[in-house]
Amino acid sequence: MKLQTAVFTVIIVTVAMAALLFYINKKLKDFDPLSEPKGIVLLVIMYAQMIDKMVKEKTNDEVATYLTPYIMSVAAFIFLSNILGLFALETPTSNLSVTLVLAAVTCILIEFYSAKARGAKGYIKSWFEPMAPFVILNIMSKLSTLLSLSLRLFGNILSGGILMSVIYQMLGSISRMIPVIGAKFNIFGVLIAPVLHFYFDLFSGVMQAFIFITLTTSFIGKELPNK
Amino acid sequence: MEKALMAFAAAMCVCGGCVTGIMEGKVAVQAVESIGKNPDAADKIQSMAIVGAAISETCAIYCLLVAFLIIFILGA
Repeated sequence: MKLQTAVFTVIIVTVAMAALLFYINKKLKDFDPLSEPKGIVLLVIMYAQMIDKMVKEKTNDEVATYLTPYIMSVAAFIFLSNILGLFALETPTSNLSVTLVLAAVTCILIEFYSAKARGAKGYIKSWFEPMAPFVILNIMSKLSTLLSLSLRLFGNILSGGILMSVIYQMLGSISRMIPVIGAKFNIFGVLIAPVLHFYFDLFSGVMQAFIFITLTTSFIGKELPNK
Repeated sequence: MEKALMAFAAAMCVCGGCVTGIMEGKVAVQAVESIGKNPDAADKIQSMAIVGAAISETCAIYCLLVAFLIIFILGA
């Protein structure tokens, strides 16, 4: 059985994230709370505040206590996966299995908070609302959440990766026209591709991670009683 | 001949994305207009606009997916 590349790239992302977290943990322990934060400490504090504010706005305080750490880690994971294309590796999020797992966790969380808010009886009843035959439509709407969340991330990142490889091929065939160095060195690729990498990897990566966590918190917030 | 038809079908699929492009632009226009009218609500409008654009983008993503399926699965 041949393993897919995503298996290895996910391991790389996880190891990189663990190393980063160890480093940040050490920095935060050495940090004096009374002094002015700067560098990576400032970045981490701003990131934590941003996610905390966003989750508290969309859900209630009690849920936010448990949800914020998950949202923070999933956003960091998606972002790190998306920018892996910059290091000449295949992005794990351009594999449907990875994004499907991420979306499945979101769906399980939605159902969990829905059940917690409504109680066992109310939760079973919510599948048959407003009438009994609507159970088919309810199941389909839950499945479409799973599909659209996973396919959005997958499609955006995959299309970016495919476009980049097509552009590299095109620029390579153009630089082959240059007499001496062009045959061995993709000179136009070096000149033009960084701008496109900035858009397809960095901007799109940040955007998709942000959209994923925004949708996750919105869908969970929708199930809570007073929202 | 078959390959050309498949390429044409994939191109036709991606055409569905152009409507999404126009409408997502409309989302951005409305968001900018309402932030101009009510700058205090900028945070809320921003997140709502992003969520709305992301949801309407699903249609274009499905078009792209079908195009990929045609190219990589039918065409392989």
